[in-house]
Amino acid sequence: MPRKKIEVQSAMTSAGAGLVAKLAAELKSDRDFGQPLVYEQEYATRKSRVTVIWDEWADASLEERSSVILRAYEQAEGKEARDKIALASGLTVPEATAAGMLPYQIITGLRASDPVKFEDVKAAMLEQGASELNKEDGLQLRFATREEAEACLKRLSDKLPGSEPIWIISRDIHVYDHLTITDSVNAEVK
Amino acid sequence: MRYDDGLSLAVQGRRTGAIYMWGYCAEMSLKAAYFSLTLSDTDPIAWTSHLRPAIDRGRNTHMITWPRGGDGHNVRAWAELLVAERAATPGRALTPAISQEIQACGQRIGELWNESLRYHNNLAYQHEVTKVRLAAEWLLVNLDSL
Repeated sequence: MPRKKIEVQSAMTSAGAGLVAKLAAELKSDRDFGQPLVYEQEYATRKSRVTVIWDEWADASLEERSSVILRAYEQAEGKEARDKIALASGLTVPEATAAGMLPYQIITGLRASDPVKFEDVKAAMLEQGASELNKEDGLQLRFATREEAEACLKRLSDKLPGSEPIWIISRDIHVYDHLTITDSVNAEVK
Repeated sequence: MRYDDGLSLAVQGRRTGAIYMWGYCAEMSLKAAYFSLTLSDTDPIAWTSHLRPAIDRGRNTHMITWPRGGDGHNVRAWAELLVAERAATPGRALTPAISQEIQACGQRIGELWNESLRYHNNLAYQHEVTKVRLAAEWLLVNLDSL
């Protein structure tokens, strides 16, 4: 009687292994700007939930992204750090934007008379983590909170002296935000 | 029962139907596990009193990416909600390996299944059928540990 044991297959590809090394290096670097954006949410149980927003995910499946994050934490911070993570999710900037996770955006109001060139502005935005993934939307420099956007705006102004007036922080308003506001107003009226 | 219905469809070559059944089976396993964890009463599960608040909690407390369309049936998001809720509940956190496998099952099924599949007349690939079957099977086999 043939009796065979089937092993669980690993979802990691060679491209995924490259991403593990890259993300582990980012975790060790402690750089406070640019991609990836790493959000760590710790529960009272000391377990945590990690979301990594990174355009490098574009060609990886959701499952592979989760595996990469767990392995990268293990490589960078040890097995204990990896085991603390209950849930690991990877999203590209356009995906996180669509999910409403990055409502704040830095946009530019650049004029010909401004003392900075478009190429320098673009380079500075890319350095700060702007996404070029969705060509139709142009450069997307996005954040979860106003504080993060303001800190980035300051770094951009320091990097390009005289550029302060060109930077604008905008906030997305989704149809659901509108409905919530409308519902609150209606509730108050009643 | 629905898992066996999926098998019956698969052996008849009705691959999309099989995926539909197994996805449904996974959705129910995940919801059953989640509400066993969070509810103490035996009230029937209802949209406004149970499902909607659970989805809102997933979005707002656990920061789960939960698209608006068909949100009650998003297997990937329900899997993540279950893992996150267990992690946040003292003494109920799952082991790292089990957490990862539940999330992976949700992701595998979520790539290929949604509730509107019942309206499709295309034929899924064999490797897609296998992927969904194995994920649904894992969730069923481990239902007591979820």
